Amino acid sequence: MVETTALHDVNFNVSKGEFVAIMGPSGCGKSTLLNILGLLDNSDSGEYFFEGVDVSGFGENQRTNLRKGNIGFIFQSFNLIDELTIFENVELPLIAMKVQPAKRKVRVEEILDQMRIGHRRSHFPRQLSGGQQQRAAIARALITSPKLILADEPTGNLDSSNGEQVMQLLEEMNAAGTTIIMVTHSLNHAERAHRIVSLFDGQLVMERSEKVFESISKVV
Amino acid sequence: MIRQSIYILLRRITRDKVLYFIILTNLAVGFAAFVLLSTFISDQFNHDKQNTKYDRIYRLQLFMDQKENTVKHTWSVTAALSRKDLVDLPEIEKIALIHDVGDNNKSGVFLSVDKKNQFLTRFGYFADQSVFDIFTFRFIEGDQANALVQPFSIVLSKEVADRLFPGGNALGKQVYGENKVVFNVTGVYEDLPIKSSWRPVYILPMISYKAISGQQDYESNYWSYAFYTYVLLKPNASAASVDTKIYNALKDYRKEHHPYLRPMSKLYIDPFFEKSMYVIIGLVSFLSALILILSSINFINLQTANATTRFREIGIKKTLGFNKKRLWKQFMTESVVLTFIAAITGLFLAQLVIPALNNMLGSETFSHTFENWRLLLVIFIVTLVTGLLSGLHPAYVISSYNPVAALKQKFISEKTNGISLKKTLVTIQFSISIFMLIVGFIIYRQTQFMLKKDLGFNSETVMFANIVTDQKGSLEPLRQKLLQHSEIRNMCASDYIPFILPGGDDLNWEGGKPDDKVFVRFSNVTYDFVPTFDLKMVEGRNFSREFPADRNKCLINETATKVFGWKDPVGHRIKVFKKDYEVIGVVKDYVVFSVYNPTEPHLYRLAKDSIINNGVYAVNYASGQEKKAMEIVNTEFRNFFPNDAFEFRNMQFLTQNENALMAWKGFSKIMTLTAIITIIISSIGLFGLILFLTQRKMKEVGIRRVLGFSHTSLYMTLSSEFIRLIFISVLLAWPAAYYVYRVLPAGANKYDLQIWEFILATLLILIVAVGTISYQIIKALCVRLVDILKDE
Repeated sequence: MVETTALHDVNFNVSKGEFVAIMGPSGCGKSTLLNILGLLDNSDSGEYFFEGVDVSGFGENQRTNLRKGNIGFIFQSFNLIDELTIFENVELPLIAMKVQPAKRKVRVEEILDQMRIGHRRSHFPRQLSGGQQQRAAIARALITSPKLILADEPTGNLDSSNGEQVMQLLEEMNAAGTTIIMVTHSLNHAERAHRIVSLFDGQLVMERSEKVFESISKVV
Repeated sequence: MIRQSIYILLRRITRDKVLYFIILTNLAVGFAAFVLLSTFISDQFNHDKQNTKYDRIYRLQLFMDQKENTVKHTWSVTAALSRKDLVDLPEIEKIALIHDVGDNNKSGVFLSVDKKNQFLTRFGYFADQSVFDIFTFRFIEGDQANALVQPFSIVLSKEVADRLFPGGNALGKQVYGENKVVFNVTGVYEDLPIKSSWRPVYILPMISYKAISGQQDYESNYWSYAFYTYVLLKPNASAASVDTKIYNALKDYRKEHHPYLRPMSKLYIDPFFEKSMYVIIGLVSFLSALILILSSINFINLQTANATTRFREIGIKKTLGFNKKRLWKQFMTESVVLTFIAAITGLFLAQLVIPALNNMLGSETFSHTFENWRLLLVIFIVTLVTGLLSGLHPAYVISSYNPVAALKQKFISEKTNGISLKKTLVTIQFSISIFMLIVGFIIYRQTQFMLKKDLGFNSETVMFANIVTDQKGSLEPLRQKLLQHSEIRNMCASDYIPFILPGGDDLNWEGGKPDDKVFVRFSNVTYDFVPTFDLKMVEGRNFSREFPADRNKCLINETATKVFGWKDPVGHRIKVFKKDYEVIGVVKDYVVFSVYNPTEPHLYRLAKDSIINNGVYAVNYASGQEKKAMEIVNTEFRNFFPNDAFEFRNMQFLTQNENALMAWKGFSKIMTLTAIITIIISSIGLFGLILFLTQRKMKEVGIRRVLGFSHTSLYMTLSSEFIRLIFISVLLAWPAAYYVYRVLPAGANKYDLQIWEFILATLLILIVAVGTISYQIIKALCVRLVDILKDE
């Protein structure tokens, strides 16, 4: 079997409260990077410091525990569980954290209203529009008030107005202090981040701060 | 968490109806079979349980320590044992002496209210009043405490009371026995359950036995083995201590015979220290476990397969921080819940078919499960264990998915040992199916063998009736009258006929050591007994009217010559009740009482050519003329015995309803049912499994098709693996089935095993397998290529 290297010599820092966009062509390793950052996968070598702790050697249980409540995920394909209602889908992370049912109920209803899908709480995912589904997925990501949100092409499956709504939500979350790392193909959406990290063939090719980006965009 | 798991499960069930229908039907049918077979097994242990003093009731039996005897135990004992030897024992609280009314082996006694409408009633008994203290009876009418105290009283079961007094109110009324004796009804009791080892339909007081039978000294008689004795021990008294005290009670009479007490719990299952019932129960238990294992394996396979459609749910949950343990719990919960749904469905399914099955089997083979809390508890535990065990593998596979791969919906289980485990499970599945089918065949063939066995006498065109009469005189006029009709071939009288077992005595024989004794059964027969029953003579001759001295001669059967060790039996002498008889002929062995039991030595003496007052009259008629012959017989006998009641029946009434044969018939039907269920479950399992495998191979099939593989070669690739597994299964199933044949307690008559039974059973499973495989593969091959490849 031929092994391919998805990421190689990638080195970067994300500070608390930052909004970082990751860009790059298909197969460049964006998702692999996100999986490692999200503690879904381990890297073969190298180090990953999460809040100053080296987590690269963590076993599955340790990673699961760290992930729980600390990291929220938003996916392009929403990844809501078909057999659960919107309420139950959003409730899942709290169940994983063993939060009391009464508290769960209050928290879930609060966030559903905040996402303007409270009236859809007892519906199943496939009864909702794409935008509504993604808002439910965001609600699920936010419900534990995570320190870090990882968004994998969150607007990829949405039309422009729904995409815009999602971007606004992300910006609001970021303004409230949540660190966000977002993979995207859309330059428009990427430019709303503080910083863009570009990957090519598993390597970090460019890191642009807002100011750098502004000057480049003028040239372009 | 558990609540949510159940929600998810229920929603999946409503979404994937077909898949869950297959999963649940498989398990529910498995459980229904398990419930049925467990009910059958538990019923075997529930005989006599209606008695509240069950644990303290014992039956007096005899061990006959004689090496030549084929039957070494009996519960026919002498009255003197209970009247003299048991009475003073401190361990015993109550003793009940019992005797048949008439001869229950034959056909019973005619009862009537008006001397006209007489009912032939079998299974009436004389008994002491103490039977009501020992056994549990429920009286509807009368005073249980004094019902058998007055001479010539009669206590009726509801069944008999309803027939004699259809309007009710039997108490105080009169009942005639054989139009000769009049009894006064002193009580009516609820019919005893079928599962009672002693089941009288009416009871007469033992105090009237002397007057009715004319046996004055029966209470001090140590020779007549015609009574039954039940005792109730005091609480905590030891039966073993009684056994020691009565062990030599017969030393002055038959020193080889030793009385002992047999507990009520053994009376049905194991009255005579034989393992045959245990083998049957063991086999049925094993089969019920196998059926459950079979459907559990299907369940495991289907659930594991089903898990691959749940990647997203698993991926998300893992991503959100659910650890392996919690996912594992979720899927275990699911497995247990599904198993319970199936078990409850199966339980009700079984209750639905029980009445039909009982009807089919013609008895109370199955009782209702809900009446038996112990069985319900067993079913509950088995369900829980099945749910947990069946959940282990799917839960393990599912909870081990890597979240990233799961979200990408890749098949990861390839890497685990899932496939080889699956092969093992499929092999076990095939093995169990083949094994069960072969065992089904074996039991069926054995039963057919017993049913169709040449009994050695004419049981097709002979009718018989037991007539109790005071009439005297020669029988020859009746016989001559009958023979004037072309439909009648012959007629004889005897005190016993085939399938009505005669008594006997321990005899010494010419050439044996003075101490050697063997139990020989004997009957008195008229000249025409041998031709009427179409018996064959292997040596010598039958009794003949041309030899007046035949009254001192006898016939014996083949077994007797073997037991006595006589090479040339004709001319040998044998002493019966101090009288010498010379053997003039040897009758070819025939089935005397049961196809199950080995033949015992028999001896036939010539009856005087006159009416036997408690005799069996047998008539051989021309084949196909049963109706006409019955008319003739009824008319001629009515003319000849104007004052006596009788009822003629075909011999098959005796041969087909014999206990051991009935048990085998029931067993055979249960096995047929088991075999059918096996085929259903196997088909469901294979269908689901192959459906899943071909779905997974759709893409592979598609690519191969694009590359130009022919349908035939694809078919071979997909099916060859299953076929190989079937052949491995044969290696496991055949020897196991052969072992069952070896230990099968078929008594004296085991049929010869044949290889085609094994081949046929295997072929059947092969057909089911190939059928399902072909259906699925052909379906896979017919899908449009573009549809397969654009997926993923």
